[in-house]
Amino acid sequence: MLAKGFTEPTERIQKLKRAIVDAVPYVESERAVLVTESYKETEGLSPIMRRARAAEKIFRSLPITIHDNELIVGAITKNLRSTEICPEFSYEWVEKEFDTMATRIADPFRIPKETAAELKEAFKYWDGKTTSALADSYMSQETKDCISNGVFTVGNYFYGGVGHVCVDYGKVLKIGFTGIIRQVMEAMAKLDTSDPDYIKKKNFYEALIITYSAAIQFAHRYAEKAREMAAVCLDATRKAELLQIAANCDKVPEQGATNFYEACQSFWFVQILLQIEANGHSISPGRFDQYMNPYLAIDKGISHEFAQELVDCVWVKLNDINKTRDEVSAQAFAGYAVFQNLIVGGQTEDGLDATNEMSYMCMEAVAHVKLPAPSFSIRVHQNTPDEFLYRACELTRLGFGVPAMYNDEVIIPALCNRGVSLADARNYCIIGCVEPQCPHKTEGWHDAAFFNIAKVLEITLNNGKAGDKQLGPITGDITSFTNLEQLLEAYKKQMEYFVYHLAEADNCVDYAHAERAPLPFLSALVDDCIGRGKSVQEGGAFYNFTGPQAFGVADAGDSLCAIKKHVFENKEITMEQLKEALDHNFGDCCDKTCSATESTDEDRIYEAVKRILSNNGSINLADLQAQLSKPQKEVSGNKEDYAQVKRILENTPWFGNDEDEVDMIARRCGQIYSYEVEKYKNPRGGQFQAGCYPVSANVLFGKDVGALPDGRLAKTPLADGVSPRQGKDTNGPTAAAMSVSKLDHANYSNGTLYNQKFLPAALAGDDGLKHFASIVRSYFDHKGMHVQFNVIDRDTLLAAQKDPDQYKDLVVRVAGYSAQFTVLAKEVQDDIISRTEQTL
Amino acid sequence: MQSINYNLTGTVFDIQRFSLHDGPGIRTIVFLKGCPLSCQWCSNPESQSIKPVMMYKRDECIHCGRCINVCKVGAISPENENWIDRETCTSCGECANACPAGALVSKGKTMSVQQVIRELKKDATTYRRSGGGITLSGGEPLVQYEFASEILKASKGQGWNTAMETTGIGTVEAVEQVIPYVDTVLLDIKHMDPEQHKRFTGAGNEVVLKNAPRITKISDTVIRVPVIPGFNDSPEAIREIVAFAKTLTGIKTIHLLPYHSFGENKYELLGKDYELKHVKPLNPEDLTECKAIVEEYGFRCVIGG
Repeated sequence: MLAKGFTEPTERIQKLKRAIVDAVPYVESERAVLVTESYKETEGLSPIMRRARAAEKIFRSLPITIHDNELIVGAITKNLRSTEICPEFSYEWVEKEFDTMATRIADPFRIPKETAAELKEAFKYWDGKTTSALADSYMSQETKDCISNGVFTVGNYFYGGVGHVCVDYGKVLKIGFTGIIRQVMEAMAKLDTSDPDYIKKKNFYEALIITYSAAIQFAHRYAEKAREMAAVCLDATRKAELLQIAANCDKVPEQGATNFYEACQSFWFVQILLQIEANGHSISPGRFDQYMNPYLAIDKGISHEFAQELVDCVWVKLNDINKTRDEVSAQAFAGYAVFQNLIVGGQTEDGLDATNEMSYMCMEAVAHVKLPAPSFSIRVHQNTPDEFLYRACELTRLGFGVPAMYNDEVIIPALCNRGVSLADARNYCIIGCVEPQCPHKTEGWHDAAFFNIAKVLEITLNNGKAGDKQLGPITGDITSFTNLEQLLEAYKKQMEYFVYHLAEADNCVDYAHAERAPLPFLSALVDDCIGRGKSVQEGGAFYNFTGPQAFGVADAGDSLCAIKKHVFENKEITMEQLKEALDHNFGDCCDKTCSATESTDEDRIYEAVKRILSNNGSINLADLQAQLSKPQKEVSGNKEDYAQVKRILENTPWFGNDEDEVDMIARRCGQIYSYEVEKYKNPRGGQFQAGCYPVSANVLFGKDVGALPDGRLAKTPLADGVSPRQGKDTNGPTAAAMSVSKLDHANYSNGTLYNQKFLPAALAGDDGLKHFASIVRSYFDHKGMHVQFNVIDRDTLLAAQKDPDQYKDLVVRVAGYSAQFTVLAKEVQDDIISRTEQTL
Repeated sequence: MQSINYNLTGTVFDIQRFSLHDGPGIRTIVFLKGCPLSCQWCSNPESQSIKPVMMYKRDECIHCGRCINVCKVGAISPENENWIDRETCTSCGECANACPAGALVSKGKTMSVQQVIRELKKDATTYRRSGGGITLSGGEPLVQYEFASEILKASKGQGWNTAMETTGIGTVEAVEQVIPYVDTVLLDIKHMDPEQHKRFTGAGNEVVLKNAPRITKISDTVIRVPVIPGFNDSPEAIREIVAFAKTLTGIKTIHLLPYHSFGENKYELLGKDYELKHVKPLNPEDLTECKAIVEEYGFRCVIGG
């Protein structure tokens, strides 16, 4: 049998998991109070020294919490799955939600009255002193206009820390924090007072020593706490466990780890200290199997079962980390996601297969814990063992969407093309959603912006206008165009303008972080900050990038193909007719947009999300309201004509069916974006690089885009990442994958994201595993970069029955015959639904 | 060196990728037009005629009238119950070319061997990775046997695995030109009684039974039985088929295909009646007894193929 099945987790793991699942998240105030106190005490010191003093204070005073059943200890908050607040980045939105955060629908957090009062007091200090305030003051009005019109947003790092990094966990496991302090002392000893940057570097080194000394104490406080608990513990087994925990925390991360248990504990301290220092998300463990396996190999005394339990403990712990977002973002990103990406498999620096015992144990841990964290990924290359890929497919078949699979054969050359050395590129890991980087040598700024390609096309079709505003350059009235090349030329000019402003926006935020939030704890774990004597935020990393991510490629490609076919070639409709139909949303008047006073919950939420995601302060709410209340253009008597135009447009070959006619247009739409992005430089001395993935912004930002020539109605979702538009890939998964692979993924070195749907029946049995693996292999042969699979369940089929338009791509394959699910008669659909239940 | 006539043309009504059940691995199926049978349960009724047929999708139609203007024989009128008067229509396909909304579709396209191979190549990597290949289906591929033969030869030339679904009805010449290039034949045996066969499929089974030994001598063959309620779902009918299979060379596996009604909606698009409207689809577990009979004779039995 190819399928091996997964074992059950131990009772301890089940209890730990249950505690996480049942936990009520709180907002806690300790960190905010401590950082504020420290900043009041350090006025006049250099920014890096202020950060070090703040870290020192927090590491020495943050409450210490050890929960029942834990073998790996260390928590950011007193309560499980709770969050601290980092007011030094931004705070206004927390204050607004003091009374409502506990009762909101998505991702509620409780804020006790005392906590709210403490936070309120602390926030007073930060008026005008945050990174977001500084970034805002740097941005030009033109750039803010682009943001407020939904072309792009740089909200991620505007509101919080950058995160999005994979540090040198291996170094800590090996030499411990004392080893790091030694490295810093050695670098300091080599300093030459005649170096013009001498003072700055000396300052930086001192900041590191202060921070790491306090970090050692943080672990020692856990040792002390464990001993205290052991002293009063009546259960002999737990008492022994607590004493072992104390011994571990005395030793690591101060010293290097000498066995697997210590290695797990040491890893965990690094993971939380990074997230106590600042609140950026996507702090990614990266190649866990590579740096952990040596400690398993040397640990002769440990049983496989106990080692697995420790890995499982780390998995549960990763789910303890939580961050709060404002009400609306919380709805958009519901599920408390923090994107700690952990990847296994792949190659060594010298190009050999790197799969090891730990790679398989990590998969087992995923099946044991079945919680959202970590974001679990695997690397696949030509020499990846089939057994490993089959195992990953078996894991996917469990149906919760992991692992995501990444193609070494594209990512390694893509990184080399950005100046990463071959050895470093072979060592890549994934950050956050899908972003590749060389671990602990890169400040990738991966989630730098959401960029709306479909919006740029819409603006192109309106000669540079967004609504009534001349936002972009004047590139010609489209009714004067007679061929696709003219349209693409105009689109390119618009793209040049908007990417120019995107770069400006990102660089403003970048400067703000360098000036106000250089991070000493992080910097010692990213090469070559110690060698260069400067922080990650000031350009201390070997590799520096800024990676904005786009969505809407398929929408742009499909739209241009529809115009080419029906307007330019077949002349079935004129450009004037098209324009008018688009302006009237194909005759579909949506009442709720006609009145601002009766805005639905959805609209209200959307506006708030946009406010949060985009640049605070640049949006004038009154303007927005005015825009919203503007009456929709009158739908005149020819509503039916518009519907006809829509039907004609919809008879176009769509991206996702392996038709070069449209695939090559989509490819160009994306390339025009990515070639433009890579022209720009960031203040850290690095290059901009494009990505193509949406998180969930394709839904939110779809609301900013009017009707498109591909028949898409105004405000509806856009295509996600590099995937075809929802339901438009009707030639089966291999055809869809081939279309997607034509987008020139190596160009999107900040990552691409492709979602595929499967019915369990197609993947059943050992044959199913083989088919599955061969789909992955052949997509990767064609230079696809990333793919993840959703195994469709009964609920999806029921949803498809209700809303067939969204599920046209759903092909059911039962009993030697296949059919598009949505064209089948209701009774047949019901039959398949009942059969699907059986195969599950 | 065997020469392949890449310019030879034939009529194809569909090419379907990612098929998992008609031969090993992941496959692409080429559906050829024309079938000597017209089985009542046929799930591809558009395949039966050798000529293209017009499908009219009422929901997609925008009533622009372009088709009415281009029809040379005046077969299209809003007055007609199904838009097209099937008696008058010559299936020339002009209306489908003119239809901007894709409501009129010509099922049946003239393609050269080269064009077919070009389409099949799109999944060549998947065949290689999965051990899959191509499958000819229909209709009955032996109807356009010269075309089928060239496609198969060209596919073998690409190194692809080949399979073919067949009713077994064709001339000796057709069998000899096609079967040697098929790695796996999926041969339907529907009923051993010629009268019953004729009633439900429109033709007797004499040719099938004569061709079966010829086919199984040349290529690996799997016997397939579409199990249709009221036609051949009795233990006796199945037993007779299995006993016949026992007399053939090299049969190891028999597929029982439970009746499904996936094709029903196509009858409406073609303006035809579906005679098995009231027959309920079978579930795999309905075939437990039939499966036991197959296994009793020492064959491997797969339900659903």
